[in-house]
Amino acid sequence: MSVIYFIFQQTMFFAIPLLIVALGGMFSERSGVVNIALEGIMTMGAFTSILFLNLTGGVMSGQGQLLIAIVIAMITGVVFSLFHAYAAINMKADQTISGTALNMFAPAFAIFVARIIQGVQQIQFSNTFRIESVPVLGSIPVIGDLLFQNTYITTYIGIAILIVSTIVLYRTRFGLRLRACGEHPQAADAAGVNVYRMQYAGVIISGALAGLGGLVFVVPTSTNFNATVSGYGFLALAVLIFGQWKPVRIMWASLFFGLTKAIASAYSGIPFLNNFGIPSYLYKMIPYIATLIVLIFTSKNSQAPRASGVPYDKGAR
Amino acid sequence: MKNKILSAVLCISMAAAMLTGCGSAAQEAAPSAEPAQEEEAPAQEEAQPEAAEEEQTTASEANEEGGYELALVTDLGTIDDKSFNQGAWEGMEKYAKENNISYKYYQPQEGTTDSYIETIGLAIEGGAKLVVCPGFLFEEPVYAVQDQYPDVHFILLDGEPHDADYNYKTNDNVMPILFQEDQAGYLAGYALVKDGYTKLGFMGGMAVPAVIRYGYGFVQGADAAAQEDGVDVEIMYNYTGAFAATPEAQAMAASWYQNGTEVVFGCGGAVGNSVMAAAEEAGAKVVGVDVDQSSESDTVITSAMKQLSVSVYDGVKAFYDGSFPGGATTVFTAANDGVGLPMESSKFEKFTQADYDALYQKLSGGEITIQNGTDDSTTADLTLAKVKVQYVE
Repeated sequence: MSVIYFIFQQTMFFAIPLLIVALGGMFSERSGVVNIALEGIMTMGAFTSILFLNLTGGVMSGQGQLLIAIVIAMITGVVFSLFHAYAAINMKADQTISGTALNMFAPAFAIFVARIIQGVQQIQFSNTFRIESVPVLGSIPVIGDLLFQNTYITTYIGIAILIVSTIVLYRTRFGLRLRACGEHPQAADAAGVNVYRMQYAGVIISGALAGLGGLVFVVPTSTNFNATVSGYGFLALAVLIFGQWKPVRIMWASLFFGLTKAIASAYSGIPFLNNFGIPSYLYKMIPYIATLIVLIFTSKNSQAPRASGVPYDKGAR
Repeated sequence: MKNKILSAVLCISMAAAMLTGCGSAAQEAAPSAEPAQEEEAPAQEEAQPEAAEEEQTTASEANEEGGYELALVTDLGTIDDKSFNQGAWEGMEKYAKENNISYKYYQPQEGTTDSYIETIGLAIEGGAKLVVCPGFLFEEPVYAVQDQYPDVHFILLDGEPHDADYNYKTNDNVMPILFQEDQAGYLAGYALVKDGYTKLGFMGGMAVPAVIRYGYGFVQGADAAAQEDGVDVEIMYNYTGAFAATPEAQAMAASWYQNGTEVVFGCGGAVGNSVMAAAEEAGAKVVGVDVDQSSESDTVITSAMKQLSVSVYDGVKAFYDGSFPGGATTVFTAANDGVGLPMESSKFEKFTQADYDALYQKLSGGEITIQNGTDDSTTADLTLAKVKVQYVE
């Protein structure tokens, strides 16, 4: 049984950042702005928050420090995403290009600043955030082992974000307006919705979540930050498509991606998987092949927001 | 139509994802053949590069008529890269400061042979009498410049000069330096088994010669100790294929620890940081690489080191003493203290300094021969008595 718990716990390390970032991408796209800059925003969010962890390393520790780092990561993400928002919404720039620009800018900036501040580009941090077992909940059989042992507070924040996102998107006036802007902004405008404001809101939320995702990505998996999030921002875009721009489906998609990635990396230490003799390449391919297949079958009937990627032009009909 | 545009965009983004994924790998792959890359041993003491920078300015001020006698041309990294460049720079700087010699580093515009040759030329115009070239990538440039500037001397780290067709030639004005990483790995593997660990792991970066040598030495050292103690040892063995800290590497290390592995040798720059993250989680141990990594994580039990700065220091010193060992490759081994374990910061319980000294004696005396061929990287070509290697693709 412990192997199953182990795989599940590892899956969460992969799935939670993907979930958070993909949900961020969802808000942006459903407001009508494609946000390819997720990767860059993750890098920036991770950079500032890890720098904070580094600088306060000897002074603070534990969950309080992590929570402040989370706030810093989200603020950074918001600020950074504003560049994208300004270019895409006010300047009506090609959203792919401005996103790509941010992606190229982020790691360079992180390396440059890290070098200036401390001489080397790797930023060390000490991980004091792991929760061995959540009090009371951790001792529940099965569920406790699965969800409440060897975990991070960020896992629960990710789940909370999922729930809140679903409610906001489908159960609030804001969510309805946001979705309207992504489908037919002219109609939304005619109905009295301020399209620009909605799109700004979408991009800002995506920035906050992507910045947070960067931090969540780095903390459990390394002891320093080296100005990269290893393409997880792009992977989150794939999760977003796989999840067809719907929160609950995005959750399943990220769990699926997380599981295959966890198995691909961890199978060598799990006797019964190792005995199958399937090379790791096959496991590593699964999420990508699955995404392609899903794209093939759903491209005719894609759930993508209609106006996603199209700069809103008030005069157009 | 919009859907088509969208899918095109998404396809591009996925392609971009792969490109970035591979991009960073490719960057590191470029010098993949370069053992130096594996040197990217992560941050250790932050004070050093700053000191280096200060020195840089003082060195600049020390501009006299003769220009800069000592020059270092960096490869893809910079002099604060915690790696080859920094190690070489520190060695050169140390000698220069002790003897009041002017020195400077030059950074090529790009990582091509032409650009390296151009930069070396620039350094020589700037008055350099001795040029230090750290890294495998300088093999071809040094091959070219050794004839072009017969009066200038060169130190080439981790490589031997050859042309594009791999015709090797080392002139008398060139000192190539190689390391026997397998001995450092051997020491680590031996010490771990002697200390009572029987389930080990080796997680390398890319399968470049230096990494392979570390791994092969590690396995054989463990085997030797296992035979002496009559215990059976299992080793998980993998090359992650990159020098980056990724969740994949972390998950793999975590799964090994979960399956009972006690110590993992994280031998590939930032890969080691992922291993440390996994070890912290599992309360297990890590072996560091290249430099003493004990300051990076409490889980580091010891480090398989090679003495980069010492090798350059010795080379520079030999040059000024008039005994420049040009024309032949200098190999740094246990015999000349070129490799080793940092016993003062190691956390062994049974393996003592005396044991270490005895083993080191045998290594330097040539009593122990280690198979260190790098044609095969899977350890399938090793004959092991008590160690079972499980090679993970």
